[in-house]
Amino acid sequence: MSGIDAVKKIVETEAQARRIVDEASTKAQQIISETREQAERIRQEATARAQQQREEMLSGAKSKAEAEALQSDKETEQILNTYRKLSEERKATAVSKAVELILNA
Amino acid sequence: MSESLEKLQNRILSDAKHKADETIKDSQAKSQQILEEAKQRAQREFEEIIAKANVEAESIRRSILSSKVRVNRLRILEEKNRIVEDIIHSVEDRLSSFSKSERFEETAQRFVTEAVKAVDSDQPIVRIGFRGVSKRNLDGVSRVLPKGGKLVVDEKPIDDLGGVVATDPEGRVVFNNTFKSRLERLDNQLLTLISSTVFGE
Repeated sequence: MSGIDAVKKIVETEAQARRIVDEASTKAQQIISETREQAERIRQEATARAQQQREEMLSGAKSKAEAEALQSDKETEQILNTYRKLSEERKATAVSKAVELILNA
Repeated sequence: MSESLEKLQNRILSDAKHKADETIKDSQAKSQQILEEAKQRAQREFEEIIAKANVEAESIRRSILSSKVRVNRLRILEEKNRIVEDIIHSVEDRLSSFSKSERFEETAQRFVTEAVKAVDSDQPIVRIGFRGVSKRNLDGVSRVLPKGGKLVVDEKPIDDLGGVVATDPEGRVVFNNTFKSRLERLDNQLLTLISSTVFGE
């Protein structure tokens, strides 16, 4: 083999070596790129799950508060009924006492 | 020569493959790290959203409840106010027809005495006006006036409910002793009395 042929062989081999390294580099970039996409999907899925859970929590809190508010309505109605009853029973006494106060104070 | 060339070629290719393997390994390691960090970040974001939602849910609950409690407190206050107003109207009705009571003359005399004392004049002018009361019914009242005093009888009840108004001759000092003015002066005591009688407060 002549010296020129030997140099050609070396140049070809080095070109082949560069291709191997370049292909690996491209594959490595692809791996990183796909991983970043996967990471973004993981984040989005977690956010979506959290938002879903948030909606359920808010809806649950609203329902619970409305149920407690109904209880407050019932208690208020009882208090109002008590006052109306007391008013009927004690109105005459209250009027007499008030008239006496106005006349005698 | 040919053998050493082949060795050189093999070496070049072997180095390239080794470098390629290292590149792929590095990328796989980095990939693993990216995924780990992404999972941790996703978990943090999930927990932050849930923590905020907890605060938000409590805020919604408090808002709904406090709004309802406010409305219900207002309903209770309005009802108590309505009851008290109703009683005060009955008191006014009772006072406006008080001239029919057997205690009328004694009370009218006392009102006149108080008013005259308040204006502190030798020649007080006393206006008196109750529903259905004429000069004929007021002999007793005339007796409590000082000698220089003057009694003016209104045919209509003064201030709607009736009462007495005394002034000095110049009209500079006025004492209003009508039922309405007594109601106004005793407003706080009246509300306390009615509340304690009806609601036990």
